[in-house]
Amino acid sequence: MTIITTKKPFEEVLGALKNVNKIGLISCGSCAAMCQTGGTEGAKEMAEKLEKEGFEVVTTMVPEEVCDNRVMMKDLRKIDAELGEIDAILTLSCGLGVASITQVLQRKHPNIPVFIATNTEFMGMTERIGRFYQRCRGCGDCLLNETGGICPITTCAKSLMNGPCGGMVRGKCEVGNYEKDCGWVLIYNRLKELGRLDLFTKLREPVDWSESGHQREVVWR
Amino acid sequence: MKETETYSKLGEYIKKGEFVLTGELEPEKTCDLSHTIQEAREMAPYVVAANVTDSPLAIVTINSLAASHIIQRETGLECVWQLTVRDCNKIGLAGQIMGAQALGLHNVLSLTGDHTALGDCPESKPVFDLDSATLIKLVREMVDKGSINGHEIEHPPKLHVGGAANPNADPMEAEILKIGRKAEAGAEFIQTQVVYDIEMTVDFLREVNKYNVPIFLGIFPMKSYGIAKGFDQFVPGVDVPKDILARWKRVKTDVSDKKEQKEIYDQLNYEFFKPFITELKSKGLLAGVHCMAVHYTRIFPKLIEVIKA
Repeated sequence: MTIITTKKPFEEVLGALKNVNKIGLISCGSCAAMCQTGGTEGAKEMAEKLEKEGFEVVTTMVPEEVCDNRVMMKDLRKIDAELGEIDAILTLSCGLGVASITQVLQRKHPNIPVFIATNTEFMGMTERIGRFYQRCRGCGDCLLNETGGICPITTCAKSLMNGPCGGMVRGKCEVGNYEKDCGWVLIYNRLKELGRLDLFTKLREPVDWSESGHQREVVWR
Repeated sequence: MKETETYSKLGEYIKKGEFVLTGELEPEKTCDLSHTIQEAREMAPYVVAANVTDSPLAIVTINSLAASHIIQRETGLECVWQLTVRDCNKIGLAGQIMGAQALGLHNVLSLTGDHTALGDCPESKPVFDLDSATLIKLVREMVDKGSINGHEIEHPPKLHVGGAANPNADPMEAEILKIGRKAEAGAEFIQTQVVYDIEMTVDFLREVNKYNVPIFLGIFPMKSYGIAKGFDQFVPGVDVPKDILARWKRVKTDVSDKKEQKEIYDQLNYEFFKPFITELKSKGLLAGVHCMAVHYTRIFPKLIEVIKA
């Protein structure tokens, strides 16, 4: 599994860096490296672009996993002196990276703002580098055992629990000019293949948002 | 519907098994309903009720609940209020259903609604908290049990609820099974997408017959060649047969007098739909016909002849 990121337009990044001169770059070595938005290469490219714009890149770091607080505690300790010099951190990671760095910095450097140079797209399946697909939205109440392993929340443009809807034409979805497959037709075909159309006939209750409609956490120790 | 209770004229027709003709009204992006009210008056002598659309194609129009109420109040024509699950969550939908009762509406058609991405506010959030089947279930809970999620409604609504189906759907089996879900949810009638192919329609109707839900077949008499061509091109999944398009085109090219053109178009519609509907009626597969030809009210005197034939 990879958190898929894409690059923000550089102009937008520059907009966030107003009144900033000295920058610390933190570029994620796992998912963002795979998406070619972070990693060593991403950091190098961003440092060059920033320097061309007149910024001073004081330090560059490529931690193994920016989203892991433990990794960041260890790695940020190594650049503590440089942190005292910088005006801001720019991260090349998913949104979790920003949260993780902010939380770890809070103890010693609460005044350093943390900016982001990417957009977090989705939790993705990798076909090959450069081809990433959303197949699961992490809704917290997995239906896959009943839908032939195909998620309606993700593959149906309306996240319907009882599809297909009238927007399906010859197996394609009305969203995107009938180019993408209708999720519910995929589910129908798969369940038919498995000899389990009994599951397709089931009237399903709406998604229960009482737990998943707000910020979630898993804490077991 | 509880065995003995009916809440509307449409409900009475369904209960008695009388053949139904319904029309369709499409309020537009205006707060002035006078044009729609005029059309309602024109079709009122011929139809049992008329649907009032809810921002079709996700293009914003006046709210369908407000429009249904005003049309019904001004003309006496009973409305089938169309309600999509696109724009409101369960709280909003349930509140509107109670509002409908307070405003004197007693028929609702549960629809998914075209995706927000297709319309004129593509940036707006698509809701789809319920779907068209679970909205039917919600209405039936509110009406039959007088509750929402088990919480009592002091004065519950009294509405008949229907759903939609598409006889043109491919794969058809997925559509049939979906209609089964709507029947299980408590649909009291089903209105279909427009059809032109009689053989396909017969196959479809025979399949859905097992669910014991009255079916109102969607038809679209074409007012002109331009309308027929546009319908063929722009309504996804519904093809107007080529021979029909050719016949309509000949009227446009061969007849110069506008009045004469209109008469010929009306006659062609009559000649096409009469055997079509008569055959389906004779097979006992239909409970009614739903005419979706908006802005073509002059066809209703001919359509009622077809229905009564």
